[in-house]
Amino acid sequence: MTTEPAAPVKKGRPKRQWAPYLLILPSLIYLAIFFALPMVRAIRLAVWDETALLTLHEEASARSSSAGVLPQGSQISLLERQGIAVAPDELVGNVLTETWLRIEGQDPEGKPVAGWAPESRIRVRTTDAQGAPTEGTVRTKLGATADPLTSIYAEPRETSDVVGKLDGGASVAIGEQAVLETWFRIEGQSEERTVAGWVPSRALQVYDDVSGRIDRGDTGKFTTVYIERMLNDRFFKPAMGTTLFLMVIIIPVQFILAIIMALVIQARLKFNTIFLAIFAIPLAASDLAVGIVWYSIFTQSGYLNSILQGLGLISSAQPFLTANTRHWIIVAIWLAEVWRATAIVMIIVVSGLQAISQEVLEAAEVFGASLWQRVRHVILPMLKPSLQVALILRTILALQVFAVVIALSGGDVVTVLANETYRQYYELRNFNVAAAYAGFILLLSMITAVFYLRMVRSQEEAGQ
Amino acid sequence: MTVKDPLQTNASPPDASGSLVSAEMAAVREKARRRMLLGRAFTYVVGILLCLWVLVPIWFIASMALTTPETVRGYPKSVLPFIPFSFETMRFFLNSYGIVPGLINSVIVAAITLALSTLIAAPAGYAISRYLFKGRDAFRLSILAVRAFPVVILSIPLAVTFISLGIYDKIYSLALMHTALTLPTTILVIGSVFASIPYELEEAAQVFGCTPVQAFRRVVLPLVLPGIAAAAVFTFVMSWNEVFAATVLTVQNRTLPAQVLVSLQTSGEPYKFAGGFFMLVPSVIFIFAIRKYLFNMWGQISK
Repeated sequence: MTTEPAAPVKKGRPKRQWAPYLLILPSLIYLAIFFALPMVRAIRLAVWDETALLTLHEEASARSSSAGVLPQGSQISLLERQGIAVAPDELVGNVLTETWLRIEGQDPEGKPVAGWAPESRIRVRTTDAQGAPTEGTVRTKLGATADPLTSIYAEPRETSDVVGKLDGGASVAIGEQAVLETWFRIEGQSEERTVAGWVPSRALQVYDDVSGRIDRGDTGKFTTVYIERMLNDRFFKPAMGTTLFLMVIIIPVQFILAIIMALVIQARLKFNTIFLAIFAIPLAASDLAVGIVWYSIFTQSGYLNSILQGLGLISSAQPFLTANTRHWIIVAIWLAEVWRATAIVMIIVVSGLQAISQEVLEAAEVFGASLWQRVRHVILPMLKPSLQVALILRTILALQVFAVVIALSGGDVVTVLANETYRQYYELRNFNVAAAYAGFILLLSMITAVFYLRMVRSQEEAGQ
Repeated sequence: MTVKDPLQTNASPPDASGSLVSAEMAAVREKARRRMLLGRAFTYVVGILLCLWVLVPIWFIASMALTTPETVRGYPKSVLPFIPFSFETMRFFLNSYGIVPGLINSVIVAAITLALSTLIAAPAGYAISRYLFKGRDAFRLSILAVRAFPVVILSIPLAVTFISLGIYDKIYSLALMHTALTLPTTILVIGSVFASIPYELEEAAQVFGCTPVQAFRRVVLPLVLPGIAAAAVFTFVMSWNEVFAATVLTVQNRTLPAQVLVSLQTSGEPYKFAGGFFMLVPSVIFIFAIRKYLFNMWGQISK
């Protein structure tokens, strides 16, 4: 067990200086994709409303120029409708469609006509084995003023050329079908102005033939709605308070325990490695498992009650982990976290202690300094850098407490920030608010990490 | 240093006779020796108490997991373990819904994470321990920063991205997330493993006629392999234990901790205790297997 010496670095090696960059490239790329990008994405999710505004088009085509925007939720009136060909995989969700049929028939003068007609104008008479229409007749138009003839178009849309007209009742052969998305020309109010233009049906919620509402936009906008919803969430303040409170009660105890453990290791007893390995066991323990371990102690039919009753201190089993005994849940979480995460502090402190020269410690002992004096005046000052790093590492890890809390409280009576992130994501399916929580934890960590980095840097400078 | 020096204050004046000084010295030495023995005994007691603090909860959960479900539900519980000893509770747990698939998924995710993380981290670890290059410090600092970051929180935006890419709820996409989680630690550990092998060894091999690649393969690689294996084991354990990202990123293909977490509220105590014990066992074994490397793992985080 030796402490790690300062990295022996290849000095000089002027040729092949691209080698180290090539070697670190894969990890840089990986961390860019799976660390930096998600971080940006989290912030974007938290403050960017991706469906805030809907662009209205001059013509019924996604490529045509913009005629203005309307905010999500606007009440609109529908002016016209038209079918537009889109890729088949886009025809899902709340898309309104219309079907056009390719038909062949004869016009009133006996001239053959082939082209497209909307399904609403054709009555299908026969279908093939797959259910696809094969033959039909043109529907008769009702009303005295309407044109009795049905227009047949060159392409499956009403703006294309009319290739011919068919009489009502004329029988036609039906070829292929085309499914089109319906676009609407809509009109609505935005900032006291009336805006009109074409939009696809998927962006709308259509009430009836003439009115509707904008369901989702296609253009993003900065918003603080999600952050406000997080701040006003009824669980936010308790979660924040519990997280900070746990941090405050856990970390000092951990440090005292870890320093005692490190001093035991430092005393070089006979079974030193066994002691070290046992102290380090919780380092690899899953936080969920640790939560369950302490649940077995604190649950009503658990070990704590068994022992207390065995000693005659209580007459019947006490409930500890219930909504009315919130303080006991906190105690259980506190013990579980101290049990679990002291190991990492211990390892950092032990390796820091080993960097202190043995002579200094022995000299203090020879000169009769008591244990407390040695700890207070020699060991603690020399351990300061290690302790600072451990402190910050523990602070950031304490912001992520999750599974221990779930195991001991079910996540309702006592809640923490990570648990609220999970609740917003998993139970409420509110990705944006979940991202706001995640961003909030990131922000708290970032503040801590800035201190951490500055400290490591000043240590490295001091070491040189 | 502000240590109060008892020798100085108790010491006899300089003109005193030599025998007086030596007698006094002997007394002081005897006192110091006795105090040291006492101190050692005290240290043993403290050490054993701390070991009990760590071991007793594990003892409790183990004796609950290795008994009959009736005993688990019973009260008061016996502090004496394994009465009666039985695999009934474990069998009940392993037969519960989703546990065996979760177990398989956990192993697959951890194995992919291990392979990917070691493959990507090894070159970077070699670079930061062997080369002095511009940006080395910046790279090390950013790795340290990422290492300290709450990476699992990023599973929320990753889930949104994975949904839009159609790779949500896949075992390998969770492994991608876990690799991001373990990569910084693995880089730092492998870097410190390489740093513990003197570069002179490589140079000597080259003097004796090896090419740089041969020197690396024949001299350095055999020396670092145990350390890299220990780092890989730790990567495996980190992925095996991880529960937040696993719960967020999977729905049907749960890993073991995620499966246990989501069914925690609706399941009885035999299930919970057996599950907790089952998740704990590999960690305890792994820690004992890699205890020599614990300081490579974590000690150097402060340097």
